[in-house]
Amino acid sequence: MENIQHENTIFAEPIFYIGPPAGGWPITNSLLTSWVAVFVIVLLSVIVRKKMRNIPSRLQHFFELIYDGGMDMADQITGSRKTTKKVFPLAISVFFFVLVNNWLGILPLGGFGIVTHSAEGNFFVPFLRSGTADINTTLMLAVIGVIGSNIFGIMAIGVWKMFNKYVNLKALGAIPGKVRRDPAILMVAPITFFVSILELVGEFAKVASLSFRLFGNIFAGEVLLASMAALLAYGLPIPFLFLEVFVGVIQAFIFAVLILVYFTIAAQDHEAHETS
Amino acid sequence: MDSLISTFHIDWHLIIAQAVNFVVVILVLWHFALKPLGKLMDERGKTIAGGLDNAKKQEELLKAQKAEYDATLAQARSEASAIMQSIKKEAETKRTSMLTTAEDEVKATIDAGRRQLESEKQKMLADAKTELAELVIQVSAKVFEEGMTPKIDHAVVVENIKTLNS
Repeated sequence: MENIQHENTIFAEPIFYIGPPAGGWPITNSLLTSWVAVFVIVLLSVIVRKKMRNIPSRLQHFFELIYDGGMDMADQITGSRKTTKKVFPLAISVFFFVLVNNWLGILPLGGFGIVTHSAEGNFFVPFLRSGTADINTTLMLAVIGVIGSNIFGIMAIGVWKMFNKYVNLKALGAIPGKVRRDPAILMVAPITFFVSILELVGEFAKVASLSFRLFGNIFAGEVLLASMAALLAYGLPIPFLFLEVFVGVIQAFIFAVLILVYFTIAAQDHEAHETS
Repeated sequence: MDSLISTFHIDWHLIIAQAVNFVVVILVLWHFALKPLGKLMDERGKTIAGGLDNAKKQEELLKAQKAEYDATLAQARSEASAIMQSIKKEAETKRTSMLTTAEDEVKATIDAGRRQLESEKQKMLADAKTELAELVIQVSAKVFEEGMTPKIDHAVVVENIKTLNS
């Protein structure tokens, strides 16, 4: 009888490869789960679209509630419906993508998978692993969010102002003109320039914080469920399953809200804000 | 950085694959479902707002019409009352006038009757006197037979008539 080990790895395990294992396209269990998530979202979208009526069905009503509530909440963050209309499609898509991925990962279907054989032994690889319990997914979302917010900022306030947010040449350039009137600028301008560089570093920190927060929470949830199941498989994981359902919603919500916040901040002109 | 990549198995293949997944989600969820849904909700909201606005207008119109109806009704009542008063007054006047006329006519008829009766009475009396005189003459002639002349007869008759008249 072969000894099969169940391990919660910090990375998504490959199920198979497209091409050679070294350098080929790995199809991991998290990618597989993401495909299922995409399929579920597409299916729901098609159903909603096909059954769209003036008098809504239950599913349409549910989507209308989310849409309407989401728009209202986004208005509070962005401060204007105009900005909300531009950012909301990305935020709501992030919310659904993360939510469905989070929930699929905690489905009690952990018994389905394959056994891989290696020198270290035989390992069980489940088919389902939440897409967001893979840093590749969360990193992709964070990068899209941060790059998207900067592109949005460029479109809203222009390239030069956006550039000066991160490399504040304007502050340094103002020194010769203002130094006689205000000698303190010799101190203030370099500090302003340095702060702008910190803003640039902050953009990378945003990517790290967004991706690792989501990944950490969801992966920790899966580890928690696996640990509880290992302690007592019957009954004990149930309250934690409910907790993870809740955590899934909260994390999806936080990610979407942060995307909205980053886009809103990027679209604000700091100088105009300070002047006003 | 390398240890981070190897620890978490960061793989650009997977990042691209997940990005494709996410782009599919955006395209399908937003452009296929939520955008048309938002449009439908906006249109429905406009229809409802229009309906409410219309209902408000109808209500105002109804109120105005009710006020107009009440005013018209009050005016009609007032006019009807005035007409009734006028008619009553007219009728009273007419009644009084008719009564007076009727009384006058009755009085005139009675007077005419009286006058006619008096005249007929006088005529009858005259006729009766004449007849009586003739009767007296005839009776006297029979009484006196030939003892009396026509002159005497006439004198006797006149005398009798005078007596009768007195």
